Amino acid sequence: MTLKHLLAAGALALAGAHATTADAFELGIVAFQMSAETHARVANAAEAAAKEKGWDVTVLNSNGALPTHAEQIENLVQRGVDAIILAMSKPVQFDAQMEAVSDAGIPLITVMSGSSPYALFDIQVNEYAVGAEAALYLLGQLNYEGKILTQRFESNVGTRIRGKVLDVVLSENTAVEEVGSHSMARTQSWQDDVRNGMSALILQNAGNFDGIWASFDGQAFIIDDLLAEQGMSKGDVVLVSVDGGKETFRRIASPDSMLMASVAIPFEAMGAAAVEAIDRIAVGGEPVDAVASGPYLYMNAVLVDQSNVDEFTE
Amino acid sequence: MKTIIAKYGTAITGLVILVVLILFARNFASSANMLNVLKNTSFLTILAVGFTFALITSELDLSFANIASLAAVVTGGMIYSGIAWPLAALAGLAVGLVAGYVNGLVVTVAKVPSLIATLGTASIAGGLAFMLTGGVAFVGRWDPVFLSLARGKVGPVPVLIFFMAAVVIAGWFVSRKTPLGVHMLATGEATEAAHRAGIATRRMKRIGLTLSGLAAGIAAVLLVASLSSAAPQMAGDYLLNAIAAVLLGMTMFEPGRPNIAGTFVGALIISVLDNGLVLLGAPYYLQDIMLGLIVIGSVSVSASVLKKAAFSV
Repeated sequence: MTLKHLLAAGALALAGAHATTADAFELGIVAFQMSAETHARVANAAEAAAKEKGWDVTVLNSNGALPTHAEQIENLVQRGVDAIILAMSKPVQFDAQMEAVSDAGIPLITVMSGSSPYALFDIQVNEYAVGAEAALYLLGQLNYEGKILTQRFESNVGTRIRGKVLDVVLSENTAVEEVGSHSMARTQSWQDDVRNGMSALILQNAGNFDGIWASFDGQAFIIDDLLAEQGMSKGDVVLVSVDGGKETFRRIASPDSMLMASVAIPFEAMGAAAVEAIDRIAVGGEPVDAVASGPYLYMNAVLVDQSNVDEFTE
Repeated sequence: MKTIIAKYGTAITGLVILVVLILFARNFASSANMLNVLKNTSFLTILAVGFTFALITSELDLSFANIASLAAVVTGGMIYSGIAWPLAALAGLAVGLVAGYVNGLVVTVAKVPSLIATLGTASIAGGLAFMLTGGVAFVGRWDPVFLSLARGKVGPVPVLIFFMAAVVIAGWFVSRKTPLGVHMLATGEATEAAHRAGIATRRMKRIGLTLSGLAAGIAAVLLVASLSSAAPQMAGDYLLNAIAAVLLGMTMFEPGRPNIAGTFVGALIISVLDNGLVLLGAPYYLQDIMLGLIVIGSVSVSASVLKKAAFSV
């Protein structure tokens, strides 16, 4: 098959891909990086909720690339969708694109992104409270005494806040010392970054730490596996993180995992809430204030440990 | 007829895709969307034109995306620190230029194959970008005059399209209408013969790689202005797309030979597909699949008519 045949087949495939329902409400969803489970959970839940309402949905994945994200938002504006949801976007970087969405009269709701003057609102959990819960749980498990390692991520507003709150908690509880810290920098190959950084820290501090704080569960899974490779078992080290989800709950319940607790953020509920809000505002004509007052719509996060994990695994 | 198909077959197929999209994708043919497609082609095209120059001299540059990210971080970091944006933009261009020249030196003086050399400089540039940022993007609502370099419009036409047009026209002119372009082409086609004919082939290769770096610098400055931020991997996604654009370009106009016109059309086909798939409401993973098919298809076609060994390094 030559390239020309290939492109011709592609053209036909494109024509075949055109299958929208006439006059149905059209929703565009852009997830910043679907390879990150949390982004995918928001996008997939929003897609499912929208389809349940009989809407046409276009889901896009920016693969963690800023220019791609910008282009995808612009392309959705050109498509003329009726509403847009952005999962884990970055309002400052995409100021111009969000303004274009607003100028086109398209309602925009962001999830876990931060506020933008061009969005109706951002659906968030209170990251300060989430950070405090995770930090205080970890310190509580250590009886407010001991040494910890931390795995941070500064490029995301939520994980950055969690890290800052941890620092505040540590500054007030000086008997707990942070003996090593790794900051995840690479977003596209982050698993390798975490694995390399934390395996070095774990080896360097072998036998000299009691707990590990991870800024999100994806990091915690990698750390958990590294600790298991070192022959550790549950209780040897207290591993605490944030996000929640099936795999998180499985590990918390498992006797083989070091993961003790996670603050579960309701990503699926956030995706569904974004769709529900658009339904009320863009379809039902309700004022934005009736759905959310101010730039944020806060949802509750719950700390999950062995005492209540059964409620989440059932 | 065979010659026409060989020369213009891919471009004609691109036109067929265009027609299909015009017929089936709502709003695709609107002037606003056409301008949107052209605007979104600009970064890819500028980077791909640079890569074309390296390939014209029969050298591969796999570092341009990371060099662009590094140049972006330098530009963004300087603006973030309060340094005047024209200086920051010049610094970004200089980073691209110098990095490209270093590539040229490593290839022509240290005699490291360009595939290996540019993989090495890509790694160094990536590391430096992370070192400068600590992994955290420089973000801010920066000087509107600077941002207008990428966000501005002349009438309804985004300024980025003019930058892209300038790079394409300049690239085409240099490669086709100047002695330098002829010498670079001769170097790429038959290095030994060109050398015997008195052409400074090593210098041509250095220039090819330096121009690739310069294009990375230009794209970087415009990216920073477009996104009002600079992150250590912000241009990373362009690597595969730009290579695909150049390879696609090598299947048309001058089959088997890297050429600026072909590169531009190749980049345009990729952007049209990206845009068209969104407008059709196609699943997001189809974009990656289509791009992969294009790369495989274009390499197979290019390789069958390619006379030199750029891909066999």
